Amino acid sequence: MQEMQSFKIYGKSELQDSSLIVGWKEDVANLGAMVVDYLNKKLGTEEFGEIEPVNFFPLGGVAVENNVAQFPESKFYSSPEKNLVIFKSNVPRVEWHKFLNSILDVAEHYCHVKEIYAIGGMVSLSAHTAPREIMPVTNLPAMEKTLDQYDLAGGMEYETPPGQRPTLSSFLLWVARNRGIPAASLWVPVPFYLLATEDAAACKKVVDFFDTKLNLGIDLRDLDEAVTRQNEKLSQIRFSFPEVDSYIRNLESNVALTQEDSEKLAKEIEEYLRRID
Amino acid sequence: MGVRLYKEPGLENPIMIASWPGIGNIGLIAVDTLKNMLEAEELGEIEPWDFFYPKKVLIRNGELKDLEFPSSKFYFKRTGEKDMLFFIGEEQPADGGRAYAEGKKAYQMANLVLDVAQKFGCQRVYTSGAAVAPIHHTARPKVWAVPNAKGLLSEVKTYENTILMSEIEGRGGQGNITGLNGLLLGVARKRGIDAICVMGEIPVYLQGFPIPYPRASKSVLEVLTAALGVEIDIDRLAGFIEQSDSQVEQLYEKFPPEIKEQLDKLKSVSYAQPTEPAPITEEDKKRILEDIDKFFKKGPKED
Repeated sequence: MQEMQSFKIYGKSELQDSSLIVGWKEDVANLGAMVVDYLNKKLGTEEFGEIEPVNFFPLGGVAVENNVAQFPESKFYSSPEKNLVIFKSNVPRVEWHKFLNSILDVAEHYCHVKEIYAIGGMVSLSAHTAPREIMPVTNLPAMEKTLDQYDLAGGMEYETPPGQRPTLSSFLLWVARNRGIPAASLWVPVPFYLLATEDAAACKKVVDFFDTKLNLGIDLRDLDEAVTRQNEKLSQIRFSFPEVDSYIRNLESNVALTQEDSEKLAKEIEEYLRRID
Repeated sequence: MGVRLYKEPGLENPIMIASWPGIGNIGLIAVDTLKNMLEAEELGEIEPWDFFYPKKVLIRNGELKDLEFPSSKFYFKRTGEKDMLFFIGEEQPADGGRAYAEGKKAYQMANLVLDVAQKFGCQRVYTSGAAVAPIHHTARPKVWAVPNAKGLLSEVKTYENTILMSEIEGRGGQGNITGLNGLLLGVARKRGIDAICVMGEIPVYLQGFPIPYPRASKSVLEVLTAALGVEIDIDRLAGFIEQSDSQVEQLYEKFPPEIKEQLDKLKSVSYAQPTEPAPITEEDKKRILEDIDKFFKKGPKED
């Protein structure tokens, strides 16, 4: 019995030597989804395919988030002018290897991708006033060579700690390497107290990189404004709540907070940002 | 999705012994100990990526060096008479976060394991797991044995310290073996291969704790080695058992006194049908078991 393919393609793709950007919806601080949503909007990409959820997600009902029923989505978008493919998806719950191969089947056979980038936020204990940086992890020397030309933080050393599991982006890089496709995951540390909201500065850092690397020609003024607004709000809260200011000052001086203080800081900032938004 | 064999040794009437992790890792410890003591050689593995999410990534100087998956390995040992094939799974195939494999993945894995068993001419398979029972942790755990064919019952009855489901009160010979340690029996039956699952007892109050229970593994090993006709120094498990006993005692001391008082009664209670006069009345026994069952809201079960 032949297994049906897991994806649907709506039209014919004309892409050659394209680049693929992957963003996961369940990313830290929603960074992956934030970046690909921004790129989709600014580049006016068109949806051209999807991976069917049936083999990869439990479909015994729907989850409700913020009063709205959700449904797993795994969609492909393209911008033929920029020779760019974007994949935005929920993280599958089962059959990860098959799911990742489905992404690469579409990438290779329909879009002829030459490289893949997966976006990932990571929790940082630094203050938001520290500059954001991109820490790449590559799967093949060709990708390492490509990224050497950009001002990225290199030399990441990491081993999954006991009791934890690797990210799906690491699994994607491994599957891509087995198929000979150069890929990188781009990790951006996000201050822990911005996890529940969003970090415009981290988003800007990643978009800025793609704009340069892929020659996208995006007008980034709106992102600059979003970063400015975020910084203003955080300055306001520091001014209004001396305790919050003191916690952040400690972080700025590389003084670690206790678990209790960290939770308090994150809670105060989340509540404040939600209140004024 | 397949099997990778590193070598193809000729084996004489091999018997397969397979195990996956479960409650107290009772079966896994038993089978792994047997495999190690017999110095079995690595034979091959089931390719993991279609069954498992990776367990570890290694990144060095910004480069993804390695992605490690839970292993599912075959080993073999020539004994001169009945050779042995071992299968040891580091995890049961994950399927939506469930602890025990079920459905398509489990069935596929069970079939791959038996493909290898049949390739080498196996006509007998043993699996091993845990039997959650109302026993006290100071008792010598019995081994529940479930064969996959009626014809094996008479053989199983000869195993020492072993009971059948029909010997457990109130069960009428019925039960359920969760996960691959059980499923393999069914798939073997479908293929006409004799198989027996041997499950070491673990006290009902320890089933929820993520701690190994080698005391029951020892009971399983005693049954397996006798059935297989091999001799190993089972006492080499003594240190592990001592360590685990002390861990269990520490845990037990933390139970509220009223619970401990109830659990202590298990020292004099047997849930199995009486073969000799019990030190307490049948009525007492029934009440104690009901109280404990109520407390843990679970009856005896197997994995």
